[in-house]
Amino acid sequence: MNEILTSIKRTPYQSLASFLILFFTLFLSLFFFTITSFFNGVLSYVETKPQVTVYFDTKTKESDIITIQKTLTDSGKVSSVEYTSQQQALKIYKDLNRDNPLLLEMVSADILPASLGIFAKRPEYLSQIAEYLKKQPNVDDVEFQKQIVDKLLSITTLMRRGSLIIFATLLFISFVVLMTTAAFKIALKKDEIELMQLLGASKGYIRKPFIQEGLLFGTTSATIAFLLFYSVFFYFKPFLHTYLQGVSRLPFYGFGGLNIFVWPPSWSFIMLSYFVIFFFGTLIGFFGIYFATKKYIK
Amino acid sequence: MIVFDKVSKIYSLGTFELHNTTFQIDDNEFVFLVGPSGAGKTTILKLIIAAVTPTAGSIVVNDTTITDKRFKSVEKLRQSIGFVFQDFKMLFDKNIIENVAIALKVSGYSDKSVRDEADRVLKLVGLSEKKFMFPIQLSAGELQRAAIARAVVGRRSIILADEPTGNLDPKTSWEIMNIFKKLDNENKTVIIATHNVDIVNSVKKRVIVMKNGSIVKDARGSGYDL
Repeated sequence: MNEILTSIKRTPYQSLASFLILFFTLFLSLFFFTITSFFNGVLSYVETKPQVTVYFDTKTKESDIITIQKTLTDSGKVSSVEYTSQQQALKIYKDLNRDNPLLLEMVSADILPASLGIFAKRPEYLSQIAEYLKKQPNVDDVEFQKQIVDKLLSITTLMRRGSLIIFATLLFISFVVLMTTAAFKIALKKDEIELMQLLGASKGYIRKPFIQEGLLFGTTSATIAFLLFYSVFFYFKPFLHTYLQGVSRLPFYGFGGLNIFVWPPSWSFIMLSYFVIFFFGTLIGFFGIYFATKKYIK
Repeated sequence: MIVFDKVSKIYSLGTFELHNTTFQIDDNEFVFLVGPSGAGKTTILKLIIAAVTPTAGSIVVNDTTITDKRFKSVEKLRQSIGFVFQDFKMLFDKNIIENVAIALKVSGYSDKSVRDEADRVLKLVGLSEKKFMFPIQLSAGELQRAAIARAVVGRRSIILADEPTGNLDPKTSWEIMNIFKKLDNENKTVIIATHNVDIVNSVKKRVIVMKNGSIVKDARGSGYDL
């Protein structure tokens, strides 16, 4: 450890450059990792919602709605139809706004629409179902989720590709900067390296302090990037909470069953983020320096 | 044991640095390698530590043919050889005990063994009192003693010295030579490349005389005339 600290003290600007490039790479990687996970969570969330939702006028009789539900069930094109009465709609509304009594004061079941949530057996039936529902009397609105899902899917794909390109670019820059600074440090220790070689030091022994320094930079910058990112995240969490009101939980890809949630961020997701960033920090720190020592220590 | 069998070394410009050289140095032998500048003394020392490869011939060091293509243990070979450089090769940002300790650390000694062994050899060369000083604070003679300490430390069975008295006054040169004579009693093979006639003639050990890359005389208990 003393050797590493001495090396940092001797080449403060090169060390700072190595640290900063690793820090920015890991900070931005963590940012894109979280954003991509978030959009994927939103996508999974939307996919769990009914594919077509039909809202009825408030004066519609329940028997008329049940008739439509039965017709749809008998059509053979839907896998399930969920009926939400006006009373149930009021309960959902109250649950969503329980922290805001002002919004609850003026609301009664009479002004909320009853609805049917429909899951189609095959995606191509969705437009037929939507068309059928639009023609029914007393229908106020038909929400067709496919467009939202498609839009979200394209955004998520774009985010994932964009993140990968940015990550690859940052990774490349990190490697170049780490290799350059390592080359400078190796040049500074040329005499010592030459002497160690003459005394019988193995290449591994000579590389060790350089690689340890790279690992220290990788792990430290990963930890600082993680702490800073989550400090900013938790600072803005109340604003995000207001914006995402109504969204109960967003699972991390398919791992909702393992209690890994992007929103609200579960401890397991936060720890996973740290693990990912720590792993990449270690990997970049190690290989950046390893290739430099392989190239410059003959 | 060190065996050179018809060893030649030609540098890229075509000049012969060593020409068809054959000799054998037994274990624990004390040998002076003498001759004018450019005779090939340093090349022989470099060949022994595999710092350069010969153009022809074979070299055996401690029962290992180091010129064999299958030979890969350069590190192990060098860990068994101590080298005293004419220019000391001290690291100026490390103190004397740290400079000596490097030779032990590269051989994988434990921290405690490093301290004990470094203390022992610094006492042997008379630098115990100055072990925490930095090279810039030491005289040339003291630096050479520190360089010897670094070369003899640990399990190094062969000690090579390239002009160890080259930069020193006669009195200090004798002090250094007395340290080498002490090593003669420590069961180590010692090879000293020098052109210090006085020392070679007084010590009365084996002398290999070289000229233009060839051995011109090899005699035990002999002297040396330029």
